[in-house]
Amino acid sequence: MKNRCVSCGIEGLSKDIIGINKKLLGTEVENFFCIECLAEYLDATVEELEEKIEEFKEQGCTLFK
Amino acid sequence: MKNGTIYADNAATTKLDIDAFETMKRFLLEEYGNPSAKYSFSRSSSNAIKEARYKIAECIGAQANEIYFTSGGTEGNNWILKGMQYQDINKMHIITSCIEHHAILEVCHLLEEHGFTVTYLPVNKFGQVEPEVLKKAIRQDTVLVSIMLANNEVGTIQNIVEMTNIAHANNILFHTDAVQAVGHIPIDAKRLGVDFLTASAHKFNGCKGTGFVYVRDGVTTSSLLIGGAQEKGRRAGTENVAGIVAMSTALEKNCENMNKNIEHINEVVSVFLDELSKRGIDYIRNGAEVSLPGLVSVSFRNAESEMLLHRLDLKKICISMGAACDSKQTIVSHVLKAMQIKEDYVNGTIRVSFGKYNTINEAVIIAEAISDILK
Repeated sequence: MKNRCVSCGIEGLSKDIIGINKKLLGTEVENFFCIECLAEYLDATVEELEEKIEEFKEQGCTLFK
Repeated sequence: MKNGTIYADNAATTKLDIDAFETMKRFLLEEYGNPSAKYSFSRSSSNAIKEARYKIAECIGAQANEIYFTSGGTEGNNWILKGMQYQDINKMHIITSCIEHHAILEVCHLLEEHGFTVTYLPVNKFGQVEPEVLKKAIRQDTVLVSIMLANNEVGTIQNIVEMTNIAHANNILFHTDAVQAVGHIPIDAKRLGVDFLTASAHKFNGCKGTGFVYVRDGVTTSSLLIGGAQEKGRRAGTENVAGIVAMSTALEKNCENMNKNIEHINEVVSVFLDELSKRGIDYIRNGAEVSLPGLVSVSFRNAESEMLLHRLDLKKICISMGAACDSKQTIVSHVLKAMQIKEDYVNGTIRVSFGKYNTINEAVIIAEAISDILK
């Protein structure tokens, strides 16, 4: 399922979470992480990823809400 | 650096040189008089500008009266190109290249709206403008050739001497946008033979908001900014004394240490590329053999440059990218497009630009980080 975290299985991944997965893992990626698992996978913090999401939104990237 | 950040985007901007910073402080806090004022308090400001003009002229093989201070590269490029509107009403053709900075290209587009025609010369796969191609583009009504000295995305250095000779043989003025090159490679305005040369201080460890234009003695230009007698009436506005002083200090220092800096930076680049190769990374390096020290444009096969930039950012590594993705497509820079970089590599193009403050260890860390991301 596209909106289920490939790592922890949590469902209902939002457009923003799928967007940040595509930005940081590649636009062709088909399996997505929730934000906590993505942060862990990338050795980053959830706050850093949330900051990135906000920056992308400010830039008007349509991958985000 | 702050929070362990590795800054490898020196083609975007550079850290202010500490000596330049120390020199400028005095003109912000103590000797802040307006250089145009007639009282003695302002004398040190006006003297500092005079001294800076001499120093800068010496660094680029010019005379002091050929240096005009500006706010930076964009202003300099706008000034010279827009000034062509007042040169000769019968000469309204400009030749430039398709890999120029937007501060040239967008002014050309504006001039086209005002009745000029502009020829955008193609480049070869190394990003070089071929002088023969320039020769063929010249027309009776060509007023200016504007070709950058070194490209900001791939670092390719152009054969300016040969192209200036071609332009002058046809009574055409020659401008070079040398923003990326000044302070990094030896530059002699007289040897280049150019009529105009643009530079920006923050690219060579000066501070932002300061730059200069070289205008060859005897060549006339109109003014972009009017309303004051500064810069012999050619550029109105109270001088940024602190910025100008810092610019001259930074440029003088970079020129004095140029060989040492180039040697160090070349070693850093060499380690970076070796580390990528050692790790089996599939990449091509873009640009010509003769290119700016430290500027490395690399394209990784089947990669996405925006993904690389943001992943490196999470590791506190600053680089820039050559292609950006939106939700539907990848937008490749005009420079990479013009160079016709291979399709399976172009989207994975990044620019890593090392400067005098980068270390070999940083080059290894960046290569390792890229390798981890791509594998």
